Amino acid sequence: MKYSLGLILVFVVVGALIGMYLPWYAMGISAAVIAYIVGMKTKGSFIVGFLAGFILWVITAYYTVLGHPSTLPGRMAELLPLKGQVSLLYVVTGIIGGLTTGLWVWAGARLRQK
Amino acid sequence: MNLVKKVFPLLITLCVTYVLSNSWGTIPPFGKFLSPFHGFWVNAEAPESGEPTEENLQIPGLQKPVKVVYDEMGIPHIFAENDHDLFLAQGYLTAKDRLWQMEFQTHFAGGRISEIVGEKGLASDQFQRRMGSVYGAEQSFEGMKADPLSKVALEAYSDGINAYISSLSERDFPLEYKLLNYQPEPWTPIKSALFLKNMSFVLASGTDDLKMTNILRQYGREVAENLFPNYPFEESPIIPSGTPLDFKPVPVPAAPKDFMGLGSAMQTPEKDPNIGSNNWAVSGNKTVSGMPILANDPHLTLSLPSIWYQVQLVAPGVNVYGSTMPGTPNVITGFNKDIAWGVTNVGSDVLDWYQVKFKDASKLEYWHGGQWKKTKLRIETFKIKGKKDFVDTVFFTHHGPVVYLSHEKAFKSNIPVGHALRWIAHEKSQELTTFYQLNRAKNYTDYTNALSYYSAPAQNFVFASNEGDIALWVNGKFPLKSKLHGKYLMDGTDPAADWQGFIPQAHNPHVKNPARGFVSSANQFSTDASYPYYMGWQYAPSERGRRINERLTAMSKITIDSLRGLQNDNFNIRARKLLPLLLAQVSSNSKAIDELKRWNLQNSAESIGATIFETWVITLQSFLWDDEFASNEKAPMNRPDMDRTIRLIEQEGTARWWDNVLTKGKKETMQDIISSSFQSALDSLTKHHGPMGNEWAWNKHKETGVRHLIPGMDALSRLHIPVGGGGTMVNATTTKTGPSWRFIVELSKKGTPKAFGIYPGGQSGNPGSAHYDDLIDTWAKGELKPLLYLDKPTEPTNRIRKKLTLSVQ
Repeated sequence: MKYSLGLILVFVVVGALIGMYLPWYAMGISAAVIAYIVGMKTKGSFIVGFLAGFILWVITAYYTVLGHPSTLPGRMAELLPLKGQVSLLYVVTGIIGGLTTGLWVWAGARLRQK
Repeated sequence: MNLVKKVFPLLITLCVTYVLSNSWGTIPPFGKFLSPFHGFWVNAEAPESGEPTEENLQIPGLQKPVKVVYDEMGIPHIFAENDHDLFLAQGYLTAKDRLWQMEFQTHFAGGRISEIVGEKGLASDQFQRRMGSVYGAEQSFEGMKADPLSKVALEAYSDGINAYISSLSERDFPLEYKLLNYQPEPWTPIKSALFLKNMSFVLASGTDDLKMTNILRQYGREVAENLFPNYPFEESPIIPSGTPLDFKPVPVPAAPKDFMGLGSAMQTPEKDPNIGSNNWAVSGNKTVSGMPILANDPHLTLSLPSIWYQVQLVAPGVNVYGSTMPGTPNVITGFNKDIAWGVTNVGSDVLDWYQVKFKDASKLEYWHGGQWKKTKLRIETFKIKGKKDFVDTVFFTHHGPVVYLSHEKAFKSNIPVGHALRWIAHEKSQELTTFYQLNRAKNYTDYTNALSYYSAPAQNFVFASNEGDIALWVNGKFPLKSKLHGKYLMDGTDPAADWQGFIPQAHNPHVKNPARGFVSSANQFSTDASYPYYMGWQYAPSERGRRINERLTAMSKITIDSLRGLQNDNFNIRARKLLPLLLAQVSSNSKAIDELKRWNLQNSAESIGATIFETWVITLQSFLWDDEFASNEKAPMNRPDMDRTIRLIEQEGTARWWDNVLTKGKKETMQDIISSSFQSALDSLTKHHGPMGNEWAWNKHKETGVRHLIPGMDALSRLHIPVGGGGTMVNATTTKTGPSWRFIVELSKKGTPKAFGIYPGGQSGNPGSAHYDDLIDTWAKGELKPLLYLDKPTEPTNRIRKKLTLSVQ
């Protein structure tokens, strides 16, 4: 459990550091590389990655909005269409971030397996 | 573990990542788009607050530093040390707020939308290019480069835009690029020409020649001329009757032989754009201050990002404030210390069609003036997103492009097939020189010099100066025509039908300091019948012009605020005449009739009478004319206009047109048609809004909205704006069109001019900025904002929110 939480923290920190400068999926690849290096177990790897991606994207989005209050999230929640529910927009954002990171971590972990 | 099992998750992951990185039809690339590091989240902008912020940016290409201050509306006031830097900064700062719009509009104008949206954009793109939009822009670009000052402006403006584009990384792209998943490309000066030529598309591409020929073929010349007369029964022309000519007219060419033409068959729907504009200037002897006041409100299809971008441009020799069009340098309408100017569109006939007779299927030769002449071929290549390029050949006669060959289907129902297009927008032109000089004009002479360079789209240029002059020139390049030349489709083999030169610019209709103390225009007929040249048979309906002239004649002690009231005037001058005529034909009594009798003839936002009247009028037009003029899908025709209908009601109550020819064995009377159209209008209103009540309020029925340029993007639009007005009111706000920029300027002998303005949008094109639509509510209330006119960037004022220094890199 502790080990998993530690990994989540590492994925989030590395993702946050490189997020601005590399393509959007780079946090996934970086997590995969880390999973490979540390020899992460396949079982449960997706969940760990998913949680990391979810947390990273939701928190980053939240802080962006906090620093730049605007009508944009509301407009996007209407466009996507989520009936203007900004909370749902965060959830969808988190799911996409989580899905991508989770899959990459799973892929990285499986590659290392004997 | 075997290899397949080992790499299987990686393959799935790569597939999912690929799917989320790309757009699918109208679905944005979800991964990229939702990423808080790259996607839309990054586009949120915090509103400014408190003390002005200061920023310094290094800009490649600048010669000297440029100081910029932004006011509370986000309007940049630019102070440069030379023209080059001024235009470079204008390009840079406009792109900073409006890059996507600038590029999208020029992509549209240049027939390149399919590069962004794929094959579904191709028909529109092909139409643009077949109409010669790129050809016209190339011609126009040659003309612009001939003036060294325009050349500097165009190139520096372009460099400024490119300096901005190259400063962007993907995460900084405007929101729409992220939504549609593409990147900005470098700007080129010819794009400014494309933008200006597109204004001819917006304002001077209306054409009824095909429909008129269809009417001619169906009903003969006598009926066509009777129902579609060449001057309205009620009119108040722009140039007041009795204005003496200050030139000796040149001879007018002989008319070509009458030509019946083939007409054509088309079924695509086409909508009436219903766009026009108002402007006027009143002389000092009618104003409280004793100085002239000028007002202008161009009506266009209202859109977001806003059509206009306000700016103040200051450099040695110029200090001008006004509205610019993102994509072109200079101020288009505005004022400086000495003068103010504004524009409305001129509806003259500057677009004609010639039926082409090709020698054979190769279309390499066509018959004209008794001989076979060679066509010129122009190859247009279309890049289509996700598909192979499409290559199209356009055939040109000496008239212009054959827009559709006779076996093709036209993109719009008013475009004839098998005809060559002669259009003013294809001429070499120097509009930029006009605006450059107007920005710097000091008096009437400078203004008329500036106008002499202007071709298209023709505009009514209203003018006022602090020397006390007011003036209006109906200005542009107008073909020299015989009477009714080009009202119908023409014979492309007959040289007498060709355009035979142009009206000398100095002979364009104009008036300076008329005795009545004001000049005005609202797209109506330029002159009365005494003007020696024929310019067209059909202009915008006269109601707005008549109302403005009636009001300005009556008004005295005029102030900026009383003119603001006139810009917002909702009085229905058509109803004043028509409603009693209609009510006299309806015998039944009902709540709706009572409502109409009580109605104060104002199309105010809450009015129910206005809703009933407007719906009745549309229904009546349809009941009266559609049986004869809209029954044949294969030969589209126009209905006679309201001016003609009113005359029919007044004087021709037994005309054959009242009978509905589709009801066999029954002969309808005028009374039948008017009463049944009334009942049908009420039924339709009840169906849409329920029983008569608050839901019938004019604004709820009309539903004005300002829509994003991408069709269907409601989330980026402002809909249900509660405003009154309408197409025939001075406040010409309809469902989709309206005053795209209202401004009023009072000139001053010594001090700075007093100016107020507003447009339905905001300075920023970014939906994540508070300045995206922050002016709409003020606009909807009919109010104006004071415009800040500065002498220097350090002038004390509490309206500055941001200071920016652009420094040499």
